[in-house]
Amino acid sequence: MNASTLTLLLEGAGVSLALALTSIAPATILGAALTALGFSRFAALRVLYRLYVYVVRGTPLLVLALLIFYALPALDLRTGPYIAGALVLTLYVGALFAEVFRGGVLAIPRPQWESAKSLGLPPAAMLKKVIAPLVVRYTLPPYINVCVMTVKASSVLSIISVWELTLAAREIIERTLAVFTVLGVAAAIYFIMCFGLDRLGRRLERRLMARGFAGEPV
Amino acid sequence: MTYLGWVTTYGPTYLDALGWTAVIAVLASLGAIVWGCALLLVPLVAGRWGARAVDAYVQVFRNTPVLLPIYLIYFGFPLIGLPWPAAVCGGLALVLQNGAYVSEILRGSVKAIDRVQFDAAKSIGLSPWSAFRKVVLPQVLVYSIPSLGNQVVLLLKDTSLLSAITVTELTMQAKLLTEQTGAAYEAFAVVAVLYLVLVSGTEVLFRAAHRAVRWSR
Repeated sequence: MNASTLTLLLEGAGVSLALALTSIAPATILGAALTALGFSRFAALRVLYRLYVYVVRGTPLLVLALLIFYALPALDLRTGPYIAGALVLTLYVGALFAEVFRGGVLAIPRPQWESAKSLGLPPAAMLKKVIAPLVVRYTLPPYINVCVMTVKASSVLSIISVWELTLAAREIIERTLAVFTVLGVAAAIYFIMCFGLDRLGRRLERRLMARGFAGEPV
Repeated sequence: MTYLGWVTTYGPTYLDALGWTAVIAVLASLGAIVWGCALLLVPLVAGRWGARAVDAYVQVFRNTPVLLPIYLIYFGFPLIGLPWPAAVCGGLALVLQNGAYVSEILRGSVKAIDRVQFDAAKSIGLSPWSAFRKVVLPQVLVYSIPSLGNQVVLLLKDTSLLSAITVTELTMQAKLLTEQTGAAYEAFAVVAVLYLVLVSGTEVLFRAAHRAVRWSR
């Protein structure tokens, strides 16, 4: 384990983190949109939600990634592995976020809905002032959990030739056969990233709770 | 080639790969449950150091992707004189990874058991090991069935990663067929459907088991 392999691994870690973070933002939006679909008046939209979540959560991420990786060139979109990887990660994590947000909405106590309706709030205001703060408050721990899962899931993209930490480690191993040291260091780097993200999330949670963020007594 | 033609031509190949996926998933699930129970026992025999060691183990496997243990065992074991077949290496990695999650699930269920049970077991003179085997473990396993079902589904999906170490399970088979025939959509669509069938089947199985066990109590 010399400095150059360590630098290589850290570069890979940077790519993994970047891939995860650039997938989390659109995935959050996708998840929120899907959750809205799931609560729609129209049965067809609700069925669409169930179908999407069923397929995306029932198929392994690798199979989804390979499907998109091979399907994009067939649609004449030669964008390369990184875009395909980020796309797949967004679609996959979007479904996970949709389930998380759905759980948050379902956890809102009935009195909140009734008082919002009795105040005559329009849907937009109700969303902004009642639903969103409560859902954020309820879903922050599982949301952070899914963010950590995204970082771990980015390693699967190494199999569709996205160069990130796992692929970097594998390439080094195939060159040098220093299996245990290289994978040990790679594991440590993943651990620091995931554990750190988890701690950050918990600190954020504590700070939100301290301010009595969403209606619970301080 | 139409989808139907595809299915009839390559059906047997897929079934072969499906068999591998199912066998690895079942054996690795059983192994993970056994390993999870073993991890549960460690604090009982090794005290606080055991509890800390298990906690560290669980944290390591919760915060690292499952591909790393797979590569570690597949590439590393031959170097220390254990050239095991790829499927065994992959299965072992899945057992180690999912055993950590299983032990967490079981620990949660242990906490859900009434204290009265432990006192009653001691009062009728059961040794700690017998108490564990005859009183605690059955109840823990029953309480954990839904969560264990969840974990088994995750393990089933993780078997697709074994394609990275050349195990001929479903995903590997799809890749091979794509390379042979160039028909990516058909190959992966069929595999996706097969995974959905496996996952749904597993969920149905665990729900039925949960219902069956609850009635018998």
